[in-house]
Order: sequence, then structure tokens, then C-alpha cells
Amino acid sequence: MKKTWIVFLLLTLTVFLFATELRLSSEVGIHTDAWKTRMAGFTAEKGVQVGIQQFPYANYLDQLMLGYTSGRVDIDVPYISLLWYPALATAGYIYPISDIPGYEALNEKDIPGIRNSKLNGKTYVIPYMNELGGIIYRKDLFDDPTEKANFLKAYGYELQPPVTLEQYRDVAEFFHRPPELYGVTLMGRRSIFLATHFMQRLWANGGALLDINMRPIFNSEAGMKALEDVAFMFNFANPAARNYDFQEALNEFISGRSAMAEVWTTGMFYVNDANRSKIVGKGSFTGFPRPENRLGEKLPMLYISWGFSVSQAAPDKKAALEWLVYVTETKNEVEAAPTGNIPARFSALNSPDLLSVYPWIGDFSKAMENCIPTPIVPLIPEGSSIVGAIIAPAVSEFLAGTKTAEKALNDAVKEVDRLMRENFYY
Amino acid sequence: MESKIRRKGYPYILPALLFIIFVFFVPVAYTVVMSFLRWNLLRPDLGVRSAGFSNYVRLFTDVFTLETIGRTFYFVIGSVLVELVAGFIVALALDTEFKGWKIVQSILLTPFMIAPVVVGFVWRFILNSDYGPVIHFFKQIGLGAFVADPLLSNPHAVIPVLILTDAWEYTPFVVLVLLAGLKAIPQEPFEAAIVDGASLWKRFRYITLPLLKPSILVVIVIRTLTSLRVFDIVFIMTGGGPGTSSETLAFYGYRTAFQSYNIGFSSAINMLTFGIAIGFTLFYMKIVGGGKNAE
Repeated sequence: MKKTWIVFLLLTLTVFLFATELRLSSEVGIHTDAWKTRMAGFTAEKGVQVGIQQFPYANYLDQLMLGYTSGRVDIDVPYISLLWYPALATAGYIYPISDIPGYEALNEKDIPGIRNSKLNGKTYVIPYMNELGGIIYRKDLFDDPTEKANFLKAYGYELQPPVTLEQYRDVAEFFHRPPELYGVTLMGRRSIFLATHFMQRLWANGGALLDINMRPIFNSEAGMKALEDVAFMFNFANPAARNYDFQEALNEFISGRSAMAEVWTTGMFYVNDANRSKIVGKGSFTGFPRPENRLGEKLPMLYISWGFSVSQAAPDKKAALEWLVYVTETKNEVEAAPTGNIPARFSALNSPDLLSVYPWIGDFSKAMENCIPTPIVPLIPEGSSIVGAIIAPAVSEFLAGTKTAEKALNDAVKEVDRLMRENFYY
Repeated sequence: MESKIRRKGYPYILPALLFIIFVFFVPVAYTVVMSFLRWNLLRPDLGVRSAGFSNYVRLFTDVFTLETIGRTFYFVIGSVLVELVAGFIVALALDTEFKGWKIVQSILLTPFMIAPVVVGFVWRFILNSDYGPVIHFFKQIGLGAFVADPLLSNPHAVIPVLILTDAWEYTPFVVLVLLAGLKAIPQEPFEAAIVDGASLWKRFRYITLPLLKPSILVVIVIRTLTSLRVFDIVFIMTGGGPGTSSETLAFYGYRTAFQSYNIGFSSAINMLTFGIAIGFTLFYMKIVGGGKNAE
């Protein structure tokens, strides 16, 4: 017995001394919680220890940038937002995953948003979570026969989750019964969240942020329309929503105080969280509407994705790839999803096991098929600065009434133009 | 002989001197150097290039910077004034010893002991137009129309609200300093004034106020300098919005450094803030010096 113990201790010591340690980093969030459930299994199967550092979302990128810039980074596999990788890749802080031998095992054809992870033909991020900007809505209200009859009487057509921007306005107006119920929940605080409302409408109206030569063109007619529509929708929102961020918006919706919330798919996890939601099982998701004359067109829709990248300085890239293959394999994505993740693989999204857990995932898949998943920021190093530091304040200026739509957008265009010139885009 | 003694004294001040050099002068010098560079953390491929005076030219020709300076001055002057007046009133009220005096003093100091980030969250909650108690109170007393437009998303109300939040946090500090000053004033001039038949106002105007001048100046200098770099409550309560209505110099510096990653221009903004702080300090020192000469 004593001998067995000694052998066990020696083995443990050997494993401890010789096992590779893979250092991961992430924000604090529910999809991180999902893949964290796979860490123990990976160590047991591959004999590679895994450690993780987590940061609040608000300063995770700052921490990464400062760590990489100063050369003090001790992270092998940063789990990052898709929006960040162009800057990290251009700076040479992260390594092309497609250059690691054995990369084919990741089967990237099974990942719908993978084209957004490539720079100069090389893959820098393997998406783990993906979602779309759209509307989460109160299914119980939309299915209520009295509401349906009243809506039909008032607007002359059937009440349904909005497919067009015109319907979206009608439905928001119809359900706007303050202070008990608001038509829609929006995120009006000056932040990238507010910019999502503008970007969705800009795309829906056929506009774009930059042209093919990287010149800003969002002060177009589509841009003006988009900005005015954002302001119009605030008429059917709680006045407090003018200072809401994502979390506050969700809190309002899951406490049953609004009929719709213009957020993204992750919101559904909060809707069905019995510990905080008053509307468990009463919500569903639909993609962002478009103008009536563009019905049937495949238009850009806000695409949000987080995934794994590999640091240039990671000493054992093979171990990093092993983790990526393990954590993103279909079985592991499906098993981890109920913790709080929308898997990035088609094979996982279409898994019957997952559909039984998330009945709304079908609506999400449908929205995904009918749009061009488009990241909120252009995938260039300056992308986040353009949207977060220039577009968001411009939208906020217009909402606050301190600038007209034209002036807000023209000033923002000038600012983007200066930034692009300074960085030699033209 | 005197210089020999002086030379012998240098090693004794060396540790303090080194401390000041590394903690103060090195970071300032580093910021000065960076303010003349074109350095974007997002584009290390472009390298760190000399910007000459272009960051400063942009800084002083940009309308937005001038507006931001204006907003910052509005905030600084407003918060210092409110804190000084409120602090004076409370300090005078507390300048008598009564039962439970120490408990009252401790309670009054509580806001000053709370981290500014927490203060920001607390006031964001209190001022929430939906469930915040302040708004509820206004509605209850029939003044709901004044707060119909949520205060934190009203471009005209947001700076006054930030001033009041800042005053809530820092007035206790002002009270503490002024109270210490009041306690140090000797009683004899008051007794003589009473004998001469001076009214309460005259005693305040001609005895209390002049003798409290050093404490008032300390408060003004410290609060001006700390208000100039206000960041936490702005970040938490408004994020610089609505629009740019609550964007102060410190916040602008942060946004340029950590949203645009433009280190050179951000350093120029910080140097401007530093210059304004120096300007204020020199101005106040001149006033203090003037006071001494007059005496």
C-alpha cells in the first residue's frame, strides 16, 4: 500500500514537472464560462495543464495591448473578440493559426463566420462563439390573441416579429404602454453599443462605413436615414434607456418591462436564466429587420464573434493547436453550450441535442443563413477606434440634440478621414 | 566654509531627491517626449515617428479641444465653488462642541472615504430616471417636469449633476480642512470684538475669514488640481456623453489613449492638463504670496 502511494506521488510529481502549461486569457463572461468547463477534460485527455487569466471586458483589450507592447505578455492562447485580431495580427502579436502544422484538423469549412477571421489569406482566430445583432422579443405577447386582434384592428396586418423596419416601428408603438411596458429597449449610453443601432440601420438602408478605397462614406443619405431612425425608435423606449448599456438594457427586458430589445442573440441566455429573469421561456429571437423594398435581399447584419488566437510568443504552438481542436470539436461545443454559449460550428448549431435545449436556436440559424454576417467594425487595426471613438460619440451628439444629423455625420467623416490619412491608407 | 557644510548635506537629501526624480520628473519627461511623437499602439508596423509640433498644433487649433477645456473649467470652477460654500457652512455649524460631535463628524466624512468609482455607480443609480429615488422625490413633490428629461442624458444638466456628485464626495474633505483652520483661530480677537460691540457678520467678515485664508487657499488649490483630472465619475456615470457634453480633458486624454490608441496626441492632451494645473498653482501661490506680503 505504502509502495503504491510512493509510485503515485512520483508519477504525480513527474506529470507536474514535465507537463506543458498552456496559459489562456479571457474576459469575464458566460461563453468563457462555457469553454472553461472543457479545461479539465483537456488536461485529462492530453496531459497538458491549462491555466487562465480573466479580465473585465472593459479593460481586457487594454491589458492585452499593454502586455504585448511592453513585451511582458505571458499568454499563449488569448480568447479575443473578432474585432481585435486585425490590430493584434498587424502588430505581429498573434500568430497565424493556419501556419501551425496539423491546422487542417480544425475543419474550418464547418465554421460559418471563418472568412472574417482571415487576414492576407491566413487564419488568426478560430471562432468559438457567434451571434447576430437582432431583436429579442416577448413571444407570449406576440402570440396573445387579444394583442393580435388589437394590432390587426389598429394597423391592418397581422402582429408578428418585425421583418421590416416599418413593422418594427409599428410594433414598438403598439406595445409602448409606459411605465408598465415599453415598446422597445435600446442602449443609448455613449458607447459601442449605441453605435450598433446606427450600424444595423446603415447596412439595412444600403449604406456602408468605408468605400473600397477605405474612405469614409457614412454621411450618405442612408447614414442620415439610419441616424434619424435610431432617434425615432427612442420615442418608444424608456427615457432611462438613453443612458443604458447592454447589461441595463437586458435587465429591463428580462424584468418584463419591454416587448422587444434590440440587442444580440446572447440575450436569450439571460431571458431563460431562472435566477434573474421574470420571463423564462417567453422570449425568442429574430434577425434585424430591413426596409420593405429590400425584403429577400441578403444584407449585412451585425455579427459578433469571440474565438481563440495564438500568441506569437507562445513557446508550444502545437499544444495551443491541440487545445483549439479539442475545445471547438462539435461534441465539446454542444456539451459546453448550455453553460452560456452559441456554438460557432454548423454541426453544433444543427445538433438535435442543442435544439432540444434551445428551441430558439432554429430562428438564429435561419437569420444567419439569410444575412451577410458583418462585424460591427471594419476589420482593420483602426476599426474599433472608428466605431467606438468616432461613430458612437457622433450618434450620441445627434440623440442629445447638440448636433444635426448632417453635422454629426460630417464631423465624424472628417475625423475618420484624418485618421486614415495619418495611417497612410491614402 | 558655508559651501563645505552645504556639500556635506547633499548626501542626506539624495534619497528624497532620487525619489522625486524617479516618481515625478521621469514620467513627466517621458510624457513630454511622447507628445512630440506619432505613435499608434494599433499600428506598430508604422513605427514611432517624430511628429514635431503637430500634436500641439492640432491640440490648439481643434475646436473640440477648446470646447473640452471650456467644459473642464466649468466643472472645476463649479465643483470648487459648491464645495467651498457647502464646506464653509458645514464647518461653521460644526465648530461648536456638542454631545455626539465626533459621531456626526465621522458620518459626514463617509462620502470622502468611498472610492470615486463606487460614488459614480451609486449616483448613477440614484439619478436613474426610472427607479432612482431623487427622480421619484421630484415627482412626488410635483416637480416631475424638471426631471422629465433624464438628467444624465440631458446635455444641459449633465455637468451640474457631475458637479453635485463631486461635491457630495469632496465637501467632507473641505469641511475637515476648514474645521481644522477654525479650531486653530485664537479666541482673543473674538472676545475683543464682542466687547467693541461687533455684530456676528462683522466678526465673521473681519476676523474669521481673514484668519481662515490659508486654509481656504489650501482647499482651493488641492480641489482645483484634483477636479482638473476628474475621470472616474465621468467614466461611470455618463461615459463622456450625451454626445460630448461631459467630456473633460482627462476623459479626452483617456479616450485618445485607450480607444484610439494614439499615444502621442494623448500625451499632448495630458501635457496641456499639466500646464493648466501648473498655471492654477502659480496663480494661487501668487495670491498666497500677496497675502503674506500684505501682512
